[in-house]
This record gives sequence, structure tokens and C-alpha cells, in this order.
Amino acid sequence: MSTAMNFGSKSFQPRAPDKGSFPLDHFGECKSFKEKFMKCLRDNNFENALCRNESKEYLECRMERQLMAQEPLEKLGFGDLKDGQSARN
Amino acid sequence: MGGLWCPGWRRVAFYGWPWSHPGSPTMAAERVEPCLRHGPSGTGGAERGLRQLGIWRRPSLAVQPLRRLKSTNPFTRQQEEDWRRRNKTVLTYVAAAAVGMLGASYAAVPLYRLYCQTTGLGGSAVAGHASDQIENMVPVKDRIIKVTFNADVHASLQWNFRPQQTEIYVVPGETALAFYKAKNPTDKPVIGISTYNVVPFEAGQYFNKIQCFCFEEQRLNPQEEVDMPVFFYIDPEFAEDPRMVNVDLITLSYTFFEAKEGQKLPVPGYN
Repeated sequence: MSTAMNFGSKSFQPRAPDKGSFPLDHFGECKSFKEKFMKCLRDNNFENALCRNESKEYLECRMERQLMAQEPLEKLGFGDLKDGQSARN
Repeated sequence: MGGLWCPGWRRVAFYGWPWSHPGSPTMAAERVEPCLRHGPSGTGGAERGLRQLGIWRRPSLAVQPLRRLKSTNPFTRQQEEDWRRRNKTVLTYVAAAAVGMLGASYAAVPLYRLYCQTTGLGGSAVAGHASDQIENMVPVKDRIIKVTFNADVHASLQWNFRPQQTEIYVVPGETALAFYKAKNPTDKPVIGISTYNVVPFEAGQYFNKIQCFCFEEQRLNPQEEVDMPVFFYIDPEFAEDPRMVNVDLITLSYTFFEAKEGQKLPVPGYN
């Protein structure tokens, strides 16, 4: 919610997410993938570029368990990971 | 009979005011006028009597001007009348313009809204990003941006809602994943709905969420704890925007509200 009171400036307009909302993972099916991803982040000083493999795996887990719509990995920005399977530095 | 009296009256008038007095000719002329113009012979004795007293005022059938013209010279009188008429028209135009401006300022509000709806501008002027843009976008490696996370809960909602990482370092053009955690400590299922905010506002237009948990009702059962992911990226055009040169920190803030029956959160977009 934008609360800036200045008249002239642009206010923030929230936009709906492109692919909608994630269904909640009530049963914790992908929790282990999430834990791996969080551990990777903590080890790498929260740099996202080094943990993209783990995030890809988490999303794949979701897609398998119908917690996310199936999408080719390129559309999610993981095109380079799909070929090389190696984390970029 | 009237003619006999007039010369005498004229002499009396001119004793009081010398002919060369600048202001006098009008007054004297007006006083002399009744004498110079012979009244209609039908008026009779009353007119003569008033003329003797010097207070005869010819009943004028013509409309008197509201204001006396300043000039007495008949040549400039016409000019002055022209000026007055011109001034009046100018004044009318100016007044009309002022009223028009006032009306335009009132009309601007709905007109601007209409314009924004047709052209799609107005606060979120970003070229549409399709999913194929994600495929083709190239990360801008040299521009590292720190994204911090913030979580808020409305007072009436009793969830424990917090981010699972305080910050994450991303570059524009690279998709990133982040997690929030929510726990329902009560003994009743609670439905929440969230919205988000990005600070600074101008950077918010480059912050694109592919998928998240906002704007939809999320139900948590009693004592349930879930992970809520946010999958986002920052548009690579962020690196080319001159206004964003000094922006290195973006804060993503989520706020959860309790969803009541029949209440709809306003859909993001132009309302």
C-alpha cells in the first residue's frame, strides 16, 4: 500500500503476478527442497546467482506435485541451467 | 415671450462662470441649453416659470447614459464611446476565458481517467512483458541489487508471518526465488489475503513477479505452518534507466489481511 502523501509523485501500483498465485503447500511436500535452497543461500551469503540450481529443483518439485502449473524451464528463466546443469558463478 | 427672457438669463449665467473656465462649458452649456432650445410651445407657463428659476430640466425622452463621458469634445466623445465598447468586449472575453478555465479544471479529472484507460498509461507505464521475454532476457551481471524482505500483518489477523531470508542479491534479468513463512497459531482456520509493496516506487515498475501468493485467499488451518514462495525477477531494462543509477536496494514488503466474507480486495490495476 503506498502511503506517500506527495501529490505529484507517482504512487505504487501493485500488479498481479504473471502466472498467478502459488497454491499453498499444506503438506510440506517440497519442504526438503526449500530447506536445501535456504541452506545454499545462507552458505553463499544470500547470493541468488549461486543457488539457481536449488531454486530450479524446488520449482520442479512443485510442478510434479501439482502445486504449480507445468512450464518449460526456459519460460522460468532457467534455460541455461537445463543444458549445462552447472551453477554459474 | 420666452425669447425675451433668454438673453437676460444667459447674461446672469455667464457672470458666475467665465467662458474660459475649463470645467464650466459643460455646466454652462447645460444650463444654457434649455434657453437655446426653444421648448415646445405647448408646455406653457410651467416651463417658463421653471426657466426663470433656472432649474428647468428638459424632460428627455432619450435614454440617459449611466455614466457621463469624460470628454466634452464631440469628436473625442465618439472615440471614447468606442473605447468603452471595446473595453466591455475585452472584459467579456476575459471573463469567459476565466469561466472556461474553471470548467476545464473540473472536467480534467474524468477526462484524464478516460485517457488513461484508453492508452493504458498512468502510473504503470511499462511495456508489456510477456513470458517469452523471460526466455530471452540476458542477466546484467555487473549490476548487483540487494532485495530485502519485509512482512507485515494487519492487526486483526493473528498469523505469524515473516520472511525466511532477510535479503538476497540478484541481478536484473535473473529469476530469483524467496520464501516467506506463515503460521496460524489459533485454533480456528483463518483465511488471509495479501498485497505487496515495492520501495522505491520508481523501481517497482521493474519488479516483476512471476508467481507469488498475493491477491488470492490463502487458508491456514489451525496450528498450520506453510512456506510461501515468491518467484520474481527484475527487468533487465532497469540497468538502462538513468533514474535507477543510484538504486541498489529494493525492498519488497508483503502485508496480510484477514479476508472477510464477501469482501474483495481491489484488483491491481487502474481503478
